[in-house]
Amino acid sequence: MNAKQAFKRWVMGFCGVATLALTPVVDVTPAFAHGERSQEPFLRMRTVNWYDTEWVGKSTKVNDVTELRGRFHLSEDWPRAVVKPHRTFLNVGSPSSVFVRLSSKMNGVPMFNSGPLDIGGDYEYVVKLKARLPGHHHIHPMLAIKEAGPVAGPGGWMDITGRYEDFTNPIKTLTGETFDSETMGGMTGVMWHLFWVVVACFWVGWFMIRPMYLVRARVLAAYGDEILLDPIDRKVGAAMLVFVLVVVVVGYLAAESKHPISVPLQAGETKVKPLPVKPNPLTIEVVHAEYDVPGRALRMNLHVINNGTQPISIGEFTTAGIRFTNKVGAAKVDPNYPPELVASAGLTMDKEGAILPGQTVDIKLESKDVLWEVQRLVDILHDPDQRFAGLFMSYTEGGERLINPVWAPVLPVFTRLGA
Amino acid sequence: MFRTDEIIKASKLPPEGVAMSRHIDHIYFIPILFITIVGTFHMHTALLCGDWDFWLDWKDRQWWPIVTPITTITFCAALQYYNWVNYRQPFGATITILALGFGKWIAVYTSWWWWSNYPPNFVMPATLLPSALVLDITLLLTRNWTLTAVIGAWMYAILFYPSNWPIFGYSHTPIVVDGSLLSWADYMGFMYVRTGTPEYIRMIEVGSLRTFGGHSTMISAFFSAFASSLVYVLWWQFGKFFCTSYFYFTDDRQRTVKVYDVFAYATLAHGDKAKAGGKA
Repeated sequence: MNAKQAFKRWVMGFCGVATLALTPVVDVTPAFAHGERSQEPFLRMRTVNWYDTEWVGKSTKVNDVTELRGRFHLSEDWPRAVVKPHRTFLNVGSPSSVFVRLSSKMNGVPMFNSGPLDIGGDYEYVVKLKARLPGHHHIHPMLAIKEAGPVAGPGGWMDITGRYEDFTNPIKTLTGETFDSETMGGMTGVMWHLFWVVVACFWVGWFMIRPMYLVRARVLAAYGDEILLDPIDRKVGAAMLVFVLVVVVVGYLAAESKHPISVPLQAGETKVKPLPVKPNPLTIEVVHAEYDVPGRALRMNLHVINNGTQPISIGEFTTAGIRFTNKVGAAKVDPNYPPELVASAGLTMDKEGAILPGQTVDIKLESKDVLWEVQRLVDILHDPDQRFAGLFMSYTEGGERLINPVWAPVLPVFTRLGA
Repeated sequence: MFRTDEIIKASKLPPEGVAMSRHIDHIYFIPILFITIVGTFHMHTALLCGDWDFWLDWKDRQWWPIVTPITTITFCAALQYYNWVNYRQPFGATITILALGFGKWIAVYTSWWWWSNYPPNFVMPATLLPSALVLDITLLLTRNWTLTAVIGAWMYAILFYPSNWPIFGYSHTPIVVDGSLLSWADYMGFMYVRTGTPEYIRMIEVGSLRTFGGHSTMISAFFSAFASSLVYVLWWQFGKFFCTSYFYFTDDRQRTVKVYDVFAYATLAHGDKAKAGGKA
């Protein structure tokens, strides 16, 4: 090694050590998300269309109960690349079990087990959560689909205050006992484990107190095992065998008498019917759609027919938990909805007025915001299936909300027109 | 009480050699052998029966008693081979399961409790120590690995469920929530949110053991015992494959022979005219 090489290596080593030394002093902030943006756009836009998500109680004390609730629509344009929702489970995306989930209902049906859902159906869910671990937590509703993976809904912040040490979760069983989920069975389990560890250590220790390896290997190689097989080992072994079997049998019978009533784990299936379909006088058809890459905008040509008796205004386009609203829609947004998921002036139309009863109109609509970029929905260009789907929220003059699922192929536009 | 003096004498090691052998025992046994088993076997079980062992709501009466003994008797058999055939030490299975338990409890308190905040009772591992003890004792008493495969391996699997019932029996207590009947274990699994582990992931109560009047545990245990016997034989042979030492010796007439007596290596290799080379 010449001087130049030595110097190079010294510099590289110095840089490495300096990097390691600096690591603790730089501002290291924890990650607060669950990778929801890393899911492919077609998966997020064309499977579960979340809406009306509510994080009830932005701040909850340890031991208090709060709710996560909302609705979702399973897109009719379900991607071919994603397994159909034959077996799904309503889950909560949270950083560990910061809440204890007490119950979960979908369209009023308890959902302790997974089950099939219908494509095209709407479902309303309510998840009861008991605050457990203090902190500032990012919570998502989540629909796990077997063989397709979890589809995360919009994430909102929920705070838990108080001390974990105060957390208790006593629950009465069918046999009249009260179990606390944090501690029940813990000490018994630890004691049994310790007991068997002591017995096992005695067994190994019985042989450890004598030469273990090298000496015995030499004797075995030279003379065979007659000397090595000590008669007292056989006696102790026989006694240990009886002891172990007796303890196992007695332990089993004692546990049986302590918990005489038991049921197997429940592996049933939850069957939930979709919400009844409300009559919707508005039909919206996407005639053409394109995604303007530099402009961060999804443009649609819509063919809209109002078959109702009241004027109807389009107020919102929502997909992948992101909401693009105009003035009409912005007024309807829950003020607690995470602002980072709302483009409050992100929806524009060439015909902003209400669609009158009986009117058929072609509308050029644009949902435009940096959210397409921030939420990594721009990656639709890299998807294996260049389509999008979402929900239009429209409002009658009387204030009734109408929901129209839409879906269509989408074409990319890489340059600004006229540029 | 023991034949220790007789054994030491037979080893023909000088006193300093005996003292050194004890140092080797201690250095080799705890820091090397035990820790190696902790690392390798813990990973092996985590991959093959991890979820059944991690989660309270996976410990069903069909898959849990089948999967756990079959996948854990593996290292027990290999370590039994190593300890028995080379040293006539009948604690291969016990030390293997002790090491596994050591690794598991580290995981319970570091990965599950400290890092992920799941209470230890929810991620309580099963015990296999009674099974391992019986497996070792069978080998000691029969001095025959075939009989150990037939009797010991069967006992290993059969004892698994009853020896764990005192730890987990309570978790099958029924509970009613929102009008639904659940076992306590089901509800624990439901309450403690696992974002990446939806309910349908559980491989429980799935199968065709439905024609025995509900006594599927017994059938599972017997099937597990049968399979454990076969796995025991296979892994005993793995132990043999990986633990057999030999070397090739070429004498002064250029004849090469395979020598299994590793203690002869030094004598042969450093002889005046002989040359040794190669080993397993």
